[in-house]
Amino acid sequence: MTPLLEVANLNIFFPQHGGPALVPVDDVSFTVSSGELVALVGESGCGKTLTGLALPRLLPRGAEIGAGSAIRFRGTDLTALSEPELRAYRGRRIAMVFQDPMTSLNPVMRVGAQIAEAIHAHRKVSRRDARDRVLALLVEVGIADPELRIDAYPHQLSGGMRQRVLIAMALAAEPDLLVADEPTTALDVTIQAQILELLDHLRTARGLAVLLITHDLGIVAGRADRVLVMYAGRIVESAATAQLFAHPAHPYTRGLFASIPRLNATTTRLTPIGGSVPRPDEWPAGCRFHPRCPVVIPRCRTERPPLEAKGPGQLAACWVTPGAAR
Amino acid sequence: MTAPGRIGLALLLALASFAIVGPMIAASPVAQPDPLNGAFLLPSAAHWLGTDQLSRDIFARLAYGARISLAIAAIAVAVAAMVGSAVGLAAGSSTGLVGRALQRVINLGLALPRIIVLLVVLAAVGRIPPPLLGVLLGLTGWPAVARLVRGETLRLAQAPYVDAAHALGAPPARVLLRDIFPGTLPALLVATTLGVADAILLEAGLSFIGVGVRPPDPSWGSMILEARDHLANAPWLLLAPCVALVLATSAATLLGESLRRSLQPDTR
Amino acid sequence: MLGDAGRGQVNVPLLQVDGLVKHYRGGGMFARTDAIVKAVDGVTFSIGRGETLGLVGESGSGKTTVGRAVLRLELPTAGTVRFEGTDLASLQPAELRALRRRMQIVFQDPFASLNPRRTVGASVAEGIEIHRLAPKRDIPRLVGELLEEVGLDASYARKYPHEFSGGQRQRIGIARALAVEPSFIVCDEPVSALDVSVQAQVLNLLLDLRDARELSYLFIAHDVALVRQIAHRIAVMYLGTIVEIGPARTVIDAPKHPYTQALVSAVPEPDPTKSTSRIILAGDPPSPANPPPGCPFVTRCFHPMKDARCTAERPRLRLVEAREVACHYAESA
Repeated sequence: MTPLLEVANLNIFFPQHGGPALVPVDDVSFTVSSGELVALVGESGCGKTLTGLALPRLLPRGAEIGAGSAIRFRGTDLTALSEPELRAYRGRRIAMVFQDPMTSLNPVMRVGAQIAEAIHAHRKVSRRDARDRVLALLVEVGIADPELRIDAYPHQLSGGMRQRVLIAMALAAEPDLLVADEPTTALDVTIQAQILELLDHLRTARGLAVLLITHDLGIVAGRADRVLVMYAGRIVESAATAQLFAHPAHPYTRGLFASIPRLNATTTRLTPIGGSVPRPDEWPAGCRFHPRCPVVIPRCRTERPPLEAKGPGQLAACWVTPGAAR
Repeated sequence: MTAPGRIGLALLLALASFAIVGPMIAASPVAQPDPLNGAFLLPSAAHWLGTDQLSRDIFARLAYGARISLAIAAIAVAVAAMVGSAVGLAAGSSTGLVGRALQRVINLGLALPRIIVLLVVLAAVGRIPPPLLGVLLGLTGWPAVARLVRGETLRLAQAPYVDAAHALGAPPARVLLRDIFPGTLPALLVATTLGVADAILLEAGLSFIGVGVRPPDPSWGSMILEARDHLANAPWLLLAPCVALVLATSAATLLGESLRRSLQPDTR
Repeated sequence: MLGDAGRGQVNVPLLQVDGLVKHYRGGGMFARTDAIVKAVDGVTFSIGRGETLGLVGESGSGKTTVGRAVLRLELPTAGTVRFEGTDLASLQPAELRALRRRMQIVFQDPFASLNPRRTVGASVAEGIEIHRLAPKRDIPRLVGELLEEVGLDASYARKYPHEFSGGQRQRIGIARALAVEPSFIVCDEPVSALDVSVQAQVLNLLLDLRDARELSYLFIAHDVALVRQIAHRIAVMYLGTIVEIGPARTVIDAPKHPYTQALVSAVPEPDPTKSTSRIILAGDPPSPANPPPGCPFVTRCFHPMKDARCTAERPRLRLVEAREVACHYAESA
């Protein structure tokens, strides 16, 4: 089966005046298939958000995609398309949901009208049909009393409901891929569980491919099929969720797990990763995790480790972790 | 700082040094009144900007006028900034009756039409020395500053670091002085810079209608007033003070807007 | 050393909060009614010396307001807060300021909680200056020692907050609080704004300081697993009231209130093999301006025995299996 989305050697850079360009996303490759939920996990500044924005080519001003990068969607390389050609993909085939549901909605427009606008943008439908379609979408994303909420303004809805409205808007064009960037970070734990449940439901019910971008390894468990761990602009580990949680191969992934408080912990102390997340202008040579790595060897300081097989369906970029062949 | 801001700053500095140095040049022979050659002379080597109806050298008057106009504006914004930030800080930081009363006072000050108040006062007191006119402009201009500073004070009082200072047991006066007041300065600086343009225009307007700086004292406004009578036969008399006025107000506005962009990037 | 809360080695608790209420006139200019927002609606708890009470709840549960009211950064509408037996409301402003030496706060947002216009050293020295804890010439040395105690370089005193990462700023905020040698610190979501890999560092620092300085914490957080790790006892808040309170592991490992159960089950468990059934609560919490009569949780409750009594009568906290629960049917949970 060919994957729905194939990102190959994605480079994103910001040209700088009189200096080397900043490269916040460096040689990132991954695939997402229909009906699959893939999580892209990393801390602030690791490049995960830019990677998500690059898929429909919505990068911020000043950012450019490097030569040799490919974003193939059903085989079409989106990096080669012109702006008018992209419109057939942006929002239409690839939809996005962002972290802050309040700023993503127009505060002076009823939510129903905003969803209807998303429908009209992609298809010719009558007002009546559009309203029916909006109601159906509101039901699908689990909004109670849709007849009541369709005429509400964003501020009259709770954070969780606003996020559901945004998901409904994203679904309006019947996309094949949903890129959800920290969709639950601004929400409370119990509401977060609802939204994750909804995303999980949508990919089974609709066969939707979901790329879930998050800083929280915890929310990934039991929901994602595969996890991509990003650190300092690169993917350092990629594995099926169960494999990653059972046998994390990269020291950074292991460090993340040790940093997360567990409900069944028997000790008080956590084992943190030393140091702090480096900024893109201070990324070290070799393996970028080496200054914080507990098992660093001299080779890590100079040579970049390749992503290689470390277990069944598991890739990691580490010189120290033994390969699968052993 | 943006390029227009740098231009504004350079212009303001040039005008200020003109106001300081200009009269010294004007004291030299080239700029003395020239009753021999008479009135309404066109610009020449002897009189760089010509002479007016009373044979006075226009360059000399423009320089003295710069001194008076800019000094009045400077005094006006200084008084407005001092009174305004004192009242604004007090209004923003005191809760209860005092805060509400001060808020009323600020609103009352904002509601009074400034120009009419000035006209009435100036008509009543008659001729006053230019520095006092500056004070008077300041005393009618502070409510706008106070409103701004009060808003900033209320905003900063919400800042967690202000909570932290209270939690450490800092007396209210210390919090106000160390944590809140410095935070209001960027907004105050912007407002004051923009206020310079206002004050210059206001003084010119009052002088033009004859109640501000009154002839024979030169200010740019009073020069325009005097030149108006000779518009038909000597239009160049009008040119010099008008250009000076436009340059000064544009410079202050350019600088103010540029400061606003760099100091308060989230406002527009 | 992680003693259970039951140890109770002291008679007068360090902090005693009784019937704390904080109501706001709500709504703002465009609200249709002048609704009263009941942010905190009758909260009672105590914290012993060296003890950490975790206060857990979602946004709008009133947990932050409790922390602020305990320090009188906000004046409570009703109820009393006693610190070492002294009712804070009975103090003159100057007396209260003097007492603030003993009780401090660490804020959530490390970017907003330091004055951007003052050096790190000035911020850390602030408390020492206010309470004249040391002669002026000793202050730089003390500031340096405090910075080193929280794992920073003494030379950072001359720098400004913007030169530091979030984790470093949070350490600076902790040093500022420690400078006045408090015995009690309100930690208001102290790690939730930090990167995951840095959270554990700051958490461990707080644990070390607790042991080294015999500190008591009111540890406010939304993350149940985190609080379980640091707190001796836990209080779970919902809509301005405590619905369950007791020893941390008792409450979290075997919760009795349906809301606590949902909260615990919603914790993302980083272990996919442990497929505990998730309880997904329906809907949103009601507005604190318009709480349901009876049990505040009734609108989202999934308890099989939920009945008319729940909508009519507010359950009081009562002892059930070694913790207090506010649920009419806690026994059959």
